[in-house]
Amino acid sequence: MMGMVYALLGVGFSLTWGVMHVIHISHAAFGLLGAYLAYSLLQHFGVDPVVSAAVSAPLLFLAACGIYQLLIKPITKAREIIVASMILTFGLAIILENVMVLIWKADPRIMTPTYASGALIVGPFYFQHPHLVGFGMSLVGITAVYLFLKKTYTGMAVRAAWQQPEAAQLYGVNLYRISMITFALAVSTAGAGGIGLALLNSFEPHSHNLWLIYLFLVVIVGGVGNIVGTALAGLIIGVITGLSMAFLPFQWVNLVTFGLLMVFLIFRPHGLFKQVV
Amino acid sequence: MEKKRLGALAVITILLAAFPGLNPEVYYLSFMFSVFMYVVLASSWNFIGGYAGYLSFGHAAFFGIGAFATAKMAELFALTPPLAIFASLPAAALAALVALVIGYPCLKIRGPYFAVVTLCFAFVVDLAVKNIEWLGGAEGLWMKTMDIPEQLSRTIMYELMLLLMAITLTVAWWLGRSRLGAGLRAVRADEEVAETMAIPTARLKIQAFVLSAFFPGIAGGLFAYYLTYIHPDVVFNINISILIVLMAMFGGGGTWLGPIIGAVLLTVVNEGLSTFAQAEIARIIYGALFIVVTIFMPNGIIDFFRKKNGRG
Repeated sequence: MMGMVYALLGVGFSLTWGVMHVIHISHAAFGLLGAYLAYSLLQHFGVDPVVSAAVSAPLLFLAACGIYQLLIKPITKAREIIVASMILTFGLAIILENVMVLIWKADPRIMTPTYASGALIVGPFYFQHPHLVGFGMSLVGITAVYLFLKKTYTGMAVRAAWQQPEAAQLYGVNLYRISMITFALAVSTAGAGGIGLALLNSFEPHSHNLWLIYLFLVVIVGGVGNIVGTALAGLIIGVITGLSMAFLPFQWVNLVTFGLLMVFLIFRPHGLFKQVV
Repeated sequence: MEKKRLGALAVITILLAAFPGLNPEVYYLSFMFSVFMYVVLASSWNFIGGYAGYLSFGHAAFFGIGAFATAKMAELFALTPPLAIFASLPAAALAALVALVIGYPCLKIRGPYFAVVTLCFAFVVDLAVKNIEWLGGAEGLWMKTMDIPEQLSRTIMYELMLLLMAITLTVAWWLGRSRLGAGLRAVRADEEVAETMAIPTARLKIQAFVLSAFFPGIAGGLFAYYLTYIHPDVVFNINISILIVLMAMFGGGGTWLGPIIGAVLLTVVNEGLSTFAQAEIARIIYGALFIVVTIFMPNGIIDFFRKKNGRG
């Protein structure tokens, strides 16, 4: 379950990395921002998290367009854009985190929609309703991104820019516009993913650091820029953490996860799956 | 030019060494101590991250290994404080050994993948230390304090860290001019071409990595003595790893002066902000600083001023 939500977060992260060569450190922080917005909407107006995902996604999309124009675009001419983007978005993540501390305080929060206590029991399996909602939301989100990239003209331009930036430019693709759309799309899926994650776990302004590690995990196992791979990797990692939680003492779970990632990186640094564009 | 720099370093070191003679407040000694420490960390990170372009996001691991090994050795052999400080040398050797073992497989992978694998490495070490009772587990380790006035003990730590900084910077200076440094620059520019030109890239990378783990190891040992209490959350803090990278790249990776400027500037700014502003606001300004500097000086401060002087 959790894996799928990480996959939704990871898709955007993977896109910005693949298409723009930007490692977006504040990606998870934007997810957290989405989660907090949904939390407030639920607390004060009783808005369902799924609805607020639909509201916050376009908002974040617009905000991200602004951030791209103001912050990311100027650094695209840097000698090492990956490094410059990491430093810049690290700063952005610090800002977001502390703004969230100022607004929502540092206490852990938990999302409690009306169906929080319900559960679906299928044979020996026990699914809590919020988990199901998070899972469904992620599935819809990932499918939407996938269809966008495969079916629409803009989506094809994004893929073209990722494979051969120069050639795409020759064919009249505006790289800046494409990068902006990619970035904004990534941030809005991050917002939705953050809401999904908030349905499963409690969260606090510092949570995004841990989320970020999982993002790296999902994206690298799935292969950078590979949507389907990212989704599958999310599922696999969900199963691995689930299993290790069942059989190992709690404090060893993360150790196993990171250890696995290390081994993985050393042997298959380019992802588990063959690159399908 | 280069000779002048080394001369300037010597003069500044001597002046700084004389500073405690003015009988300053303990606060300033502690503050300078952390400035020196970050210069050591950022400069030694620069060996692999700056010159070779292999961004290690796990350097706090070496720092932490140094700290924990020193503390554990002091406890095991019941070392008395002056002697125990020397325990940081074998501790640093341990950090270098770990770097050798880790570096061998990890340095084969490049770019962001290397960054992520080192990040994972730092997490694994952190979690492992937390889970091993023998190393204090989640409670951390205590060390014996020196039985002397605070002013004196702080002065000793200050001078030791200053010495370490001078040594690290001399090594960094040497590295910048040596064959090793030249080889590493070639690796950064284009690893395949370097390989074709018969530069033993794999060996050079390992050497640089081991060297860049050694100094943080010593710094960790000194830091353990300085705090007298170490906890995995403090010495393995992921933020230290990230901060080291940022300091070096902020000033300008692959240059001698860059990490020094970055480390001094960021430590001073961070300290200044947290004295004058509310914690969250201070952090927000700190974050904004990263953004502003990257936008206007995307290749680091050093590069920016070089271009300005028309020597880019």
